[in-house]
Amino acid sequence: MNAIVADDKSVSTRTVALVGRANSGKTSVLMHVTGSRQRPVNFPGTSVERVESEVRCGDVLLRVVDLPGIASLEAASRDEEVALSFLRSTADAGADLLCVVLDAAKLPIELRLLQQIRGLGRPIVVALTKVDVAEREGFPVDVDRLRRAVGLPLVAVNGFDGTGAEDLRTELASTSLRAASSEAVPTMADGVRGRTSRRSRTDRLDAVLLHPIVGPVVLAAVLLSMFQLVFTVAEPFMAWIEDAQGLVGSWVVASVPDGAVQSFLVDGLVNGVGASLVFVPQIALLIAFVTVVEASGYMARAVFLLDRLLRRFGLSGKSFVPLTSSFACAIPGIVASRILSDERDRLATIVVSPLMSCSARLPVYVVLLAAFFPPAQAGLLLFLLYLLGIVAAVVVALVLRRTVLRGGGSMLAMELPVYQRPRLRVVAFAAWFAVRGFLRTAGSVILVATVVVWALGYFPRSADVHERFERERAATPAGAEGDEARRVIDARESAAHLEGSWLATLGRTAQPLFAPAGFDWRMTVGVLAAFPARELVVPTLGTLYSLGDVEASTDDPDPRLGEALRTTPGPDGRPAVNGLVALAVMAFFALCSQCAATLAAIRRETHSWRWPIFTFSYMTALAWSVAVAIYQIGRLLGFAPA
Amino acid sequence: MGTVAAVAGDDALARRLIAAGIWPGVVVELLGAAPFGDPLLFRLHGYRLALRRAEAERVSIVPVEGAP
Repeated sequence: MNAIVADDKSVSTRTVALVGRANSGKTSVLMHVTGSRQRPVNFPGTSVERVESEVRCGDVLLRVVDLPGIASLEAASRDEEVALSFLRSTADAGADLLCVVLDAAKLPIELRLLQQIRGLGRPIVVALTKVDVAEREGFPVDVDRLRRAVGLPLVAVNGFDGTGAEDLRTELASTSLRAASSEAVPTMADGVRGRTSRRSRTDRLDAVLLHPIVGPVVLAAVLLSMFQLVFTVAEPFMAWIEDAQGLVGSWVVASVPDGAVQSFLVDGLVNGVGASLVFVPQIALLIAFVTVVEASGYMARAVFLLDRLLRRFGLSGKSFVPLTSSFACAIPGIVASRILSDERDRLATIVVSPLMSCSARLPVYVVLLAAFFPPAQAGLLLFLLYLLGIVAAVVVALVLRRTVLRGGGSMLAMELPVYQRPRLRVVAFAAWFAVRGFLRTAGSVILVATVVVWALGYFPRSADVHERFERERAATPAGAEGDEARRVIDARESAAHLEGSWLATLGRTAQPLFAPAGFDWRMTVGVLAAFPARELVVPTLGTLYSLGDVEASTDDPDPRLGEALRTTPGPDGRPAVNGLVALAVMAFFALCSQCAATLAAIRRETHSWRWPIFTFSYMTALAWSVAVAIYQIGRLLGFAPA
Repeated sequence: MGTVAAVAGDDALARRLIAAGIWPGVVVELLGAAPFGDPLLFRLHGYRLALRRAEAERVSIVPVEGAP
């Protein structure tokens, strides 16, 4: 029974900190020892999450805290810093008992770490993991001999099937809370027999996966399948969420009378919540995929293969993880940058992550490409838009590392762990963890931003405009035959209201700024409306080009929006948007920082407003410059009417 | 194959290398290299450690007699 009775006086609580290297199997130990009641909590004063879990063992309630991995008592990354400050905090703020998780497959260095941890003067129980891996790698461990040599309570736990977890739990609950003495130094030879000379499974796999030619090919295939998974598998789930959003919206329309309240509920609240929820499937899938790659041991191989290439661009092999995640969504990517040990590498990676074309840009690309380009060209242009983001990221990273982020002792010195089968529970938990974090922080920001844009686009409401359209509606034939006409009038009315709104006033005021890029005032409004969250642009353009509600969709771009974009006249009577303008708009979206949630994530991860402000400024400036350059050069080359 | 003789320097990198198990007398084995020869992959204490060339150059070794 895992029942937790907080006010039961006969139960004493013990806080146990799980300490060990990354890859030592801490998370598996936590899961086996405590069952499934994990919950993520933030370390006080930081954004670094830790996993906590409680389990009752006799009269003792064990509160087990999983700390980020450490390699020594000297912090080399932000994660390690957090773990170490928790270890060093006093007993009432920190842990009563340390559970040091040691990987049997590399015992000599694990024992050195154990020795350092003993110096902290805390009671210690040792959990020895991967005894089977050590055996397979040719370094069998004699557990009893090791226990005697170490002179501490020591329990072998199998991270995969949980053998030994029961014993470890009992040991944690019953062991004396006296500080472990810091003597009894086992030597390297203790408990480790000589290496048997056969090649292990990991050696054989590495021969292929790290092969100079085959290795990169496999890596490319893994990356491609990740994109494929994130885009195709997530698609039906995203469609369900959009459908559900539509259902809730129409239910509100049916049950709330017309007016500001209804519009706020539907256009502000429901669409705002939907705009965040729709990314949940992609985030969950991406994190699940990344966790599988990570837990299997392949991630470290990818970093190894790419380190030299990425270092040329002022990044590190480890930047690969956040940058790849950013193709789905920059937020998990920015969070993943914590693995970078060098602060300058980490900042450079965070700042360029939002340049990777995320999934929210795709609907904009798809609508404009379908409207202005034949399918054959559209595919190529789509590829070029992704490439534009990558090239921009490389250039910005290079510039940053040569200027404000110059120098820095970037380190690789990284373990390539033994390959293992990832555990479903670990993967599912990581995905849930990420989704929860996203919904909490990003969701609230997107929601607030959507409501602000809604208010700017809704007010002031002119009664004259409404009167005018009421008269037109009265002139339409009654019954079913007039329905179509009335729908058109409704759409024109909402467009007329939008034209008179503060948002449109803003758009007209700002339009001269975007005129050099060829944007008309409607496109300018769309761009402005998209600053809080870029997924707002398609619905906004839909309203502006008099269509009523247009749903953002990747596979079925609304043909009516494409038609309206092609035909709506500009001030000179010619269509306001043409292929060249569309290209400029897409380039603008590829490079611009239009996502309040991303900026909030950068603020969280860098603990300062400086980096989100910098990211916003440089991306907006870059986007504007490139959009203007495309339009002006295109005009000079005669691609569009002057 | 070789035996570690010494780790040069006393900065964060040197301490990191020592934390990774590069101590005098430890046997290290070069397993291979990434495309274009950097970083390098070593085996020591029974685990695999990736080091950039610049990092590995900090570690002086004594080659083991008779090993390739």
